[in-house]
Amino acid sequence: MIPFVAVVSLRNQESRTFRVWVPIFLIWLLLLPLAILLSPFIFIACLVCRVNPFRGVAVIWQILNALADTNIEVEHRSAGMSFHVL
Amino acid sequence: MNEHRRQILQMLSEGKISADEAERLIAAAEAPSATGFADQSFSSTGKSRPRYLRVVVDSEDNNGCEGPTKVNVRVPMQLLRAGVRLAGLLPAQALRRANIAMQQQGIPIDLTQIKPENLEELVEHLNDLTVDVDQKDAGAKVKVRVFCE
Repeated sequence: MIPFVAVVSLRNQESRTFRVWVPIFLIWLLLLPLAILLSPFIFIACLVCRVNPFRGVAVIWQILNALADTNIEVEHRSAGMSFHVL
Repeated sequence: MNEHRRQILQMLSEGKISADEAERLIAAAEAPSATGFADQSFSSTGKSRPRYLRVVVDSEDNNGCEGPTKVNVRVPMQLLRAGVRLAGLLPAQALRRANIAMQQQGIPIDLTQIKPENLEELVEHLNDLTVDVDQKDAGAKVKVRVFCE
């Protein structure tokens, strides 16, 4: 299933942590009509480049699905940030 | 040292197999056609397939001015596989242009020869991958680890 939420944590030098839940599903909702509008052009571009458009869509869907559980953490001194896709 | 070789050497040290048998087993494990053997051995140990590729970087400034920096990246193996499939969709035209650019940089790799099956195989064999880089000099100490878990 494609991820719906990401968590961004920020910790400052005073060790105060701010956690922000980012609703990624809103991005998908915004992108969906755009993707539908652009689909004929994408289809033509795929045909011109000799790429199977259905296979392309399937692979992009797989990438979106696989994004879940990605985790990136960076710490410097006592400050740090982390990004976790749920 | 990879897992199979370690197991074989352990069996040798325990006296379960002779030196000749160990040599044959190592040769079989390292042979390109030994994928089946390797997979069988992998499953027989009961070890599950790794789910993530992990990159850990620890950097420390010796002067203590900058303070330590740590980076920890965990990427699902599934994402790598999907990325590899996306790379397999690149049109031949783009691959040719990439080839030319790489050759100009002195990298003689023909990307058109790499098939999606090869890339899939590559990701499958990342299981055994562990890269450790330690750099120590006067200014800083950096440790990089890349492994699957």
